[in-house]
Amino acid sequence: MSYLRLLWIFLRIGVMNELAYRANFWVQLLQSLVSMGVALAGLAVIFSHTEELGGWQPAELVALLGVFFLMSGLIGALVQPSMQRFMEDVRQGTLDFTLTKPEDSQVLVSISEVRVWKFLDVVQGAALIGWALAEIGLQTGFMHAASFAITLVAGAAIVYSFWLVLATFSFWFIKAENILVIFQAVYSAGKYPVAIYPRWLKMAMTFLVPVAFAVTVPSEALLGRLSTEVFWGALVMAVVMVVGARVFWLWGVRHYSGASA
Amino acid sequence: MSAVPAIAVRDLSKTYEVPVREGGLAAALKSLVHRQTRQVEAVKEIIFEVAPGEIVGFLGPNGAGKTTTLKMLSGLLYPSGGQCRVLGFEPFKRQRDYLRQITLVMGNRNQLIWDIPVLDSFERNRAIYRIERTAYQRTVDELTELLDLGPLLDKPVRNLSLGERMKCEVAAALLHKPQILFLDEPTIGLDVTMQRRIRSFLAEYNQRYGATVLLTSHYMADVEALCKRVVVIHHGQLLFDGQLSELVQRFSPHKTIVVELENEGSDLSVYGEVVDGVDGRVSLRVPKAETAQVTGRLLSEQAVLDLTVEDPPIEDVIEQVFAGV
Amino acid sequence: MTGLFDIYTTLFRTDLAVQFQYRAAMVIWLIGRVIEALVFLSVWTAVAESQGGQVGGFSAGDFAAYYIIMMMMGHLTFTWFMYEFEFRVRSGSFSPLLLQPLHPIHRDIAMNISYKFLTLVVMLPTMFLMVGLFDPTFNTPTWAVWAAVPVVLLAFLMRFFVEWALALVALWTTRTEAANQVYFAALLFFSGQMAPLALMPEWVQSLSALLPFRWMLAFPTELLLGRLEPEEVLQGLAAQVIWLGLAWGMMGLVWSRGVRRYSAVGS
Repeated sequence: MSYLRLLWIFLRIGVMNELAYRANFWVQLLQSLVSMGVALAGLAVIFSHTEELGGWQPAELVALLGVFFLMSGLIGALVQPSMQRFMEDVRQGTLDFTLTKPEDSQVLVSISEVRVWKFLDVVQGAALIGWALAEIGLQTGFMHAASFAITLVAGAAIVYSFWLVLATFSFWFIKAENILVIFQAVYSAGKYPVAIYPRWLKMAMTFLVPVAFAVTVPSEALLGRLSTEVFWGALVMAVVMVVGARVFWLWGVRHYSGASA
Repeated sequence: MSAVPAIAVRDLSKTYEVPVREGGLAAALKSLVHRQTRQVEAVKEIIFEVAPGEIVGFLGPNGAGKTTTLKMLSGLLYPSGGQCRVLGFEPFKRQRDYLRQITLVMGNRNQLIWDIPVLDSFERNRAIYRIERTAYQRTVDELTELLDLGPLLDKPVRNLSLGERMKCEVAAALLHKPQILFLDEPTIGLDVTMQRRIRSFLAEYNQRYGATVLLTSHYMADVEALCKRVVVIHHGQLLFDGQLSELVQRFSPHKTIVVELENEGSDLSVYGEVVDGVDGRVSLRVPKAETAQVTGRLLSEQAVLDLTVEDPPIEDVIEQVFAGV
Repeated sequence: MTGLFDIYTTLFRTDLAVQFQYRAAMVIWLIGRVIEALVFLSVWTAVAESQGGQVGGFSAGDFAAYYIIMMMMGHLTFTWFMYEFEFRVRSGSFSPLLLQPLHPIHRDIAMNISYKFLTLVVMLPTMFLMVGLFDPTFNTPTWAVWAAVPVVLLAFLMRFFVEWALALVALWTTRTEAANQVYFAALLFFSGQMAPLALMPEWVQSLSALLPFRWMLAFPTELLLGRLEPEEVLQGLAAQVIWLGLAWGMMGLVWSRGVRRYSAVGS
């Protein structure tokens, strides 16, 4: 399947590129460890004063943190660098090069850049999840694992679509990059369960910057506290966003190509 | 008549350590653990002097060491060896009194602030260089006149074309009336008209204020138009230091005769080396001493429609210089 | 001296003009800061509620007041030069600064202050909005407000020198992310940003007295919340002055070493 081969080629080039800069690996390792350390230390301070936060136990919050890092790693390695590169291309006017290639432009734009070392965050997240599950002593039956996997994929699809929509906006608004600041801030709020936030922020985290679907929902699935409505809600949301983002993207490309002709 | 040179350089050298990187996955993995470096001699024991008010052109291919030399003279880089004195100062000490008397302009590098009117950037320089207001105003007026800046002063730099931006950059660099101008590729990327404009401005500026100008360029036209004296640098070494005409003389003992004949197809190789022959216009390379003689023979022996005698393009001369090393 | 005054007024004026053009980005940045404060506020309010209304001497209203003031203090003292310098060195725009007869720090001080001047216009109403939304409890005595003036000024200068020194790491390596991250992690824990220092474990509290971070943020915040006795304020001021001296010295050292290194290697 040619797109898979394309992805493999890009990954290999990305990896080779990164390997040439030996420091990148160590820097990323240090950075990942520091952010994990900081987050865990934060949790430690919080739980020195209470036994539960927003209805979540300490180990459950570690699992949440693990999903947070896992998702960060996936986004940071694959989605974010490509989308940022795309927005930069639009700003510099070098995009036409990509759009004239025969492959589907959305695919090309989405895999144009890989930050291999960000996968360290994924590994880190998985380790945290593993530790938390062991700590809780939860039996992960097939249903659990399946719903976790599904909601994780749905969450990733939603975040990817969100980024695509953001990137499509930069066809019209060159300064769309500034929104990244808000994205980072709202996303980092996802380290804690959505329940503790004021209503309006909860809404923003669900529908504006969908970190609730990316982190809280898969965590709930993992820990067996996911309600059926939310599960199906996440799936519906994922489908709607993937389709919607693609439609918006195609429209944006057509508009852009027409404009610069 | 001042005997003290404005710039004096003796055995000036600069050596860098550069990491060695090979291609391929295996080498890349190896480099994760152990990094190798090698020494690069960018500038090797250069010696020259520049008198006040001279315009000197630095010629050399990319990576020859021109920019490195300029950076050492302006004070950005420490020399690895030798010494250099500019206006009696050691440039790398970057003393305030030294910095007030020099300026460095690098082509395609912006020092002006992008988002505000040019005049505001000028104001910043006025404050930073502590230029007295009336003198500043006078200088701005003079430069505006010389460079035709009138309509540009109120525009933010981002709204200017490349050429307009360069004019303003040059003006901003001269607000404090420096005695020494270091110019690194000042006309790069500009269209021909603008290049000529900048050149004539620099010549005029040098005439009026007696500023010493050190210019690097790989546009021969810059050097031809401005510099009587050239310094040729290649692989960090000084190959030639003298008058441009002497350079041509020494390294290119030929002239080119371009002949247009009535009947195409005649074989002119008996007169000299045939370099080019297109559409009946034949170019002959001939030793300088024989030019008159060959010209005479051509005119009497051939049906000549047109004949010109040309100096070889200076690019060719320079190539000869580099080829010879 | 008039030269320096003229320089500052000119730089300030032109910086304002530049930054005003990026006001959209400024507002967005501020939103990010507000959300950040909100996250901590929400977390600790939840903790307080789970403990029957208060934790370690802080009620929900106290936490609201704490984080609103902390947000303002953070805003008044922050710098971004650790990113700016990395950009300067990478783009080659640092070299021209070396050739101007003015220490580059002056430009940066002017740039920083003019930025805060502008953003204060939006930050103040935002603060009032948050006060309206979160019902904080303020017990600030009037003398504390006056005392806050020198305290905040010292905090600003101290933090400026420390972070400018951090920014100079860019003169040695372009890999500044790691150093920056470690710095911000330390700042988070020891300055009271993450949680009021009274709620941190003992060893953190002891260590924070010896590090500069507490004096940058927690100290002015606690002062303005009326949580400090006058003697404590005087002690704090002394600590600030000492740290200001240390920071200034360190910055000078890092600068001269950094420039020497940069001049040996070039860009």
